[in-house]
Amino acid sequence: MKLLEYEAKAVFSEYGIPVPKSVLIRTPDEVLPHLAALGDIVVLKAQVDVGGRGKAGGILKVNDAEAADTARDLFARTIKGLPVREILVEERLPITHEYYLSIAIDRSTKGPVILFADAGGVEIENAAREDESAVRKVTLPPLLREVPPFLMRELLGGAPKELAPVINRLYRVFMEKDAMLAEINPLVTTEKGVYAADAKLIIDDNALARQGITVNRDLSAREQEAERHGFSYVELEGSIGVIGNGAGLTMSTLDLIEYYQGSAANFLDVGGGADQERVRHAVQLVAGMPSVKVIVVNLLGGITRCDEVAKGIIAAGVAPTVIVRMAGTNEEEGKHLLAEHGYRMLESMDAAVKAAVEVSS
Amino acid sequence: MIYGDKDLGVIVQNATGKQGAFHTDLMNAYARSVGGRGVVAGVAPGKGGREVHGVPVYNTVREALREHDATASVVFVPGGAAGDSIMEAAHAGLELVVAITEHIPVHDAMKAISYAKLHDCAVIGPNCPGLLSPGECKLGIMPAHLATRGSVGVVSRSGTLTYEVVDELTRAGIGQSTIVGIGGDPVIGQTFVDVLERFADDPETEAVVVIGEVGGNLEEEGVRSAELPVVTYIAGVSAPPEKRMGHAGAIIEGGEGDARSKVQRLCALGVPVASRPSEIPGLIRDLL
Repeated sequence: MKLLEYEAKAVFSEYGIPVPKSVLIRTPDEVLPHLAALGDIVVLKAQVDVGGRGKAGGILKVNDAEAADTARDLFARTIKGLPVREILVEERLPITHEYYLSIAIDRSTKGPVILFADAGGVEIENAAREDESAVRKVTLPPLLREVPPFLMRELLGGAPKELAPVINRLYRVFMEKDAMLAEINPLVTTEKGVYAADAKLIIDDNALARQGITVNRDLSAREQEAERHGFSYVELEGSIGVIGNGAGLTMSTLDLIEYYQGSAANFLDVGGGADQERVRHAVQLVAGMPSVKVIVVNLLGGITRCDEVAKGIIAAGVAPTVIVRMAGTNEEEGKHLLAEHGYRMLESMDAAVKAAVEVSS
Repeated sequence: MIYGDKDLGVIVQNATGKQGAFHTDLMNAYARSVGGRGVVAGVAPGKGGREVHGVPVYNTVREALREHDATASVVFVPGGAAGDSIMEAAHAGLELVVAITEHIPVHDAMKAISYAKLHDCAVIGPNCPGLLSPGECKLGIMPAHLATRGSVGVVSRSGTLTYEVVDELTRAGIGQSTIVGIGGDPVIGQTFVDVLERFADDPETEAVVVIGEVGGNLEEEGVRSAELPVVTYIAGVSAPPEKRMGHAGAIIEGGEGDARSKVQRLCALGVPVASRPSEIPGLIRDLL
């Protein structure tokens, strides 16, 4: 789950990373009382979860005379489709230089990778593509608690040594907060010191509970319902409902629908070891979408048992719209149950998808 | 054979759990049918002294190894504790750990895999279906009846899609040497490179099916290093774009983790890429 800027900054601050003075407001009138503490010129930053927020008009520099009016305008706007509900009012820093710093997971080396660039700002991605040497990169064994000095020297190059503590503190944030990504862009130097001018922190969804986060805000209401049942679920535009087990097989079913020129209404992976109840919820969830004309259940039993799945499909009670393809653990029992209840079953994934495309068109 | 044969002794971690017990039984049914050793002991902290489908259960891996000869384990421990179990197995001296567990926090996976490597222990998974060498051994949850012995290796990031491909191969009369599900998580132990290296050293394997999906560039790394002929399939060309990891993800992967560009790069390497699972047997036959 992605934290908003002000939440990420609160975490960074806890770990001793300096952040600009700021206050979070939820109505335009709240801005004025805070200006004395923040300075004559402040930055209003819409707290919405979109990339390219600045270019879309979500970050505005204002002086105290116009602050309340500008805040009112910003609250009335949507930034890339999202309403502005909270604004971070921040002191404006006298910047001498901008850097880029981030820590992510490198799939190849199976450990944290720290990226550092002497130029920060919005164009870093393009800069990295055009010139590989623009971004320095070090990967660490994940059992290390901090960046060893020789790697720190490699990372910093000619950049000021005062940035090193920030890098180590961000590394601690990354490791202790179960982060998928911790990023400061830009990391700025001023005459008074180093600051995280912006902050991004994405927490591993599989670690939300132990990080004390109870609701995954990144999901829509229907997706949250799906998640409560243990599904991974994405809504799409088409008319063929898709239920599979395992992300790969489910994705492959969507690919095959496209191959046969049909269109999928959703992606729903019931997950490993789905029992009767979970399958029933899955079928009912998909059957409840108004766009769905037919549902393909494509299921290969491993840890999931076909007889459990069959019972779940039957319990959902929407037989006419369901085409089933199943194989694997307890396959015969499952097929027998479905046959007793008159379900349409096909032997291969190709045949099942083809049949669904015919029904839907 | 890669990773093990009939003689492989296996421990199941969290053998008393629902899935652990169910699959201990299935693994041993398979071992009996091929004359192998199978699961010799189970581990579940605090439940030592019990039995699961005739298999004795111990409190720790060390205790189990005092009584039984085993070199591998299969982990059915739930997400939050699975990393610890992988490390316990490696620390006790096991050479191979197959971690079936899904939803393991990625930081736990990184640390456990790194720790296991210090102990020369290979980890398959997490979030994977395990390993099956038809006629020899089964570690994990693959439906063994779909497979048949032969000369084609299968290595895959996706569990159920693996079964689909194995089913297609078997129906087409093409047997498999070993089938390995390496898992679809961002951080996994054995990668395509590792498994393809083992296949290259295996006299029985003549060609390999590589099954990938959206995210990362592990497939390409694997195919580049492959010494045997390979056929690939990548799931997810129609999938909506993944939630990107922001700048860093894009910089690391060069914006190339999506399935379509992956397929293009594999084609550019001159590797046959199937557009759907049912095309794989034909492409394999062209190679053999």
